[in-house]
Amino acid sequence: MSIMEYNGGSVVAMAGKDCVAIASDLRLGNQALTIATNFEKVFPVTERIMLGMAGLATDVLTLRDRFRFRVNMYTIKEEREIEPETFAHLVSSTLYERRFGPYFIEPVIAGLGKGTNKPFIASTDVIGCINFAKDFVVAGTATDKLFGVAESLWEPDLEPEDLFETISQTLMNAVDRDAFSGWGAVVHIITPEKVITRHLKARMD
Amino acid sequence: MNAIASRFRASPYHEQGVEQDQNAQDSVLWGSQGGFGNLRAGAPPEFVVPNVPSPTAFLQLHTDDHADPNCRIKIAHGTTTLAFRFRGGIIVAVDSRATAGSYIASGTVKKVIEINKFLLGTMAGGAADCQYWETYLGIQCRLHELRNRERISVAAASKYLSNLVYSYKGMGLSMGTMICGWDKTGPALFYVDSDGTRLKGDVFSVGSGSTFAYGVLDQGYHWELSDEDAQELGRRSIYAAGHRDAFSGNTINLYHVRETGWEFIGNYDVTKMHYDGPGNIPGAPVGGYGYDARVSTV
Amino acid sequence: MEVSFAITGKGYVILAADQNAARSIIKMKADEDKIKALGSHLLMAYSGEPGDTVQFAEYVERNLRLQQMRNNHPLRPQAAASWVRRSIADSLRSRSPYAVNILLGGYDMANKQAKLYWMDYLGTQVDVPFAAHGYGSYFALSLLDREVQKRLVISFPSFKVKVVDEGGVREVELDMTV
Repeated sequence: MSIMEYNGGSVVAMAGKDCVAIASDLRLGNQALTIATNFEKVFPVTERIMLGMAGLATDVLTLRDRFRFRVNMYTIKEEREIEPETFAHLVSSTLYERRFGPYFIEPVIAGLGKGTNKPFIASTDVIGCINFAKDFVVAGTATDKLFGVAESLWEPDLEPEDLFETISQTLMNAVDRDAFSGWGAVVHIITPEKVITRHLKARMD
Repeated sequence: MNAIASRFRASPYHEQGVEQDQNAQDSVLWGSQGGFGNLRAGAPPEFVVPNVPSPTAFLQLHTDDHADPNCRIKIAHGTTTLAFRFRGGIIVAVDSRATAGSYIASGTVKKVIEINKFLLGTMAGGAADCQYWETYLGIQCRLHELRNRERISVAAASKYLSNLVYSYKGMGLSMGTMICGWDKTGPALFYVDSDGTRLKGDVFSVGSGSTFAYGVLDQGYHWELSDEDAQELGRRSIYAAGHRDAFSGNTINLYHVRETGWEFIGNYDVTKMHYDGPGNIPGAPVGGYGYDARVSTV
Repeated sequence: MEVSFAITGKGYVILAADQNAARSIIKMKADEDKIKALGSHLLMAYSGEPGDTVQFAEYVERNLRLQQMRNNHPLRPQAAASWVRRSIADSLRSRSPYAVNILLGGYDMANKQAKLYWMDYLGTQVDVPFAAHGYGSYFALSLLDREVQKRLVISFPSFKVKVVDEGGVREVELDMTV
């Protein structure tokens, strides 16, 4: 039994044209047993940054609170909103603080740069090694399946609605081949104007 | 008919030592006997066994992933199957998911094995083990029919299978099966597994999702169930397991065994059951089985 | 081996827990109450490692009481759940973690809503309409039915059942002869 597979769940983020998308499934399990189907793994950080976390659920909740605290402190001290790239480093160093007793989390970050609206996506491993990508990043029990589907569906410079379709199809088809993910999905599209959030009707087995 | 049966009769003069080259013999017979051993001699099939001092210990080391998750040969375990006896016969319902680790390898597995017109076997544990031995059981049941001019009882058939798998105990066979059928005694249901356990009973469920199925099944079960209600109970129970158990799901296969033999009732998508239910079927409720689906319609 | 269940309904949460206190193969006690009232409108069913359970439950009870005395106001179910979860999560990475699983049910007087939180010893928390802990969950989650004890290898002779609704916390007698 792997601790990363104990609760199940998957997250994916994709970059588009002046927009990014981030999505997660909704399952919370205890190994094979599905406890709940309303466990969201993506959280807002600022108006234009979202953070998704896959892995051990208790650490998802602990880190969600921890990041909220740290981002609030940053905002107060700096008197400005945090940039996606800065936030990625904040995530990285927070995780590396626990180098010898890690949080069992693989975070996925999606956001738009201030002013430029430059799409930003990144992920890290459990101890904070950052992976910047220009196309898509994935995490969770369906990682390999997500890579497979995303690799064939994603293309550059997608408009928000097309990006929504791409990320939705990627997530849904990947988790349908993963026993520990699924049971519903939520997708967020971050555009310069607003964040669009949609719940998907997914397989429930 | 007698002539055919006599061809397969075990010769009283057959000597064990006569067959010198077993491999050559097997290869010659392969075409006509389909890899099911020397049926003419009534001998069970022979298998190549690891050439080590203790084949049992060797096989256990490499196939038993309960004891050692890192073992080399993985056997698919996730499944939900159920069968229950009632006034109108036997309901058999199974899911159709096959997993290898967390990967869903297939969603269209046939876990009900149609042994013959009156006998069904279910599949949990090693898919190949169940398929092979239940097919083999089918052959033996047919030979019994030809020899004795009557159908084999479910008790005898299940006992045959039980004895057979018991003789391979410790070699890594993995099967949990329910043998269901209708014979002179009426509907009969037996649970047989590779430990050698054989149980006669009214309600069984086997597999990783069995607990979830039992939860629903025990609640709704009674002997006087109508055919429609019984079918609905079987369908609803497998749905419950498909929903809660990560290793069960995709679709439901439903069978009904009656005096005239078994009948395939249908194939149902678990997710469709969750949102919409089985549709306009006698005994089924209006709307989906899912908690949210039910609550939001109120 | 312990079991506990909880269901929410319109304006109430009902919790049930077995009453066994076992040590090895010996049943030490058959009338143990494993559901604590943490306030006028908050109930907590706890199970897990013997010793840890009661210690942790009392720790939570006294701390929530302290909060109430300091602020002249009890924590709402959501806030109480967050506090309990954080306590478990912090303890998980300490030298000797509490191994306690919890079902927290409360009636929120502010918005007139019943809430139920499922929490395990790792600090995993989720709010659900019904929940269970222990092997019973493998049967009950597919239905939360009354036949649970029938299929469990070990059955429990009695259950303690408590309800929390707008009127507060109260105990219910369960007829086990059904």
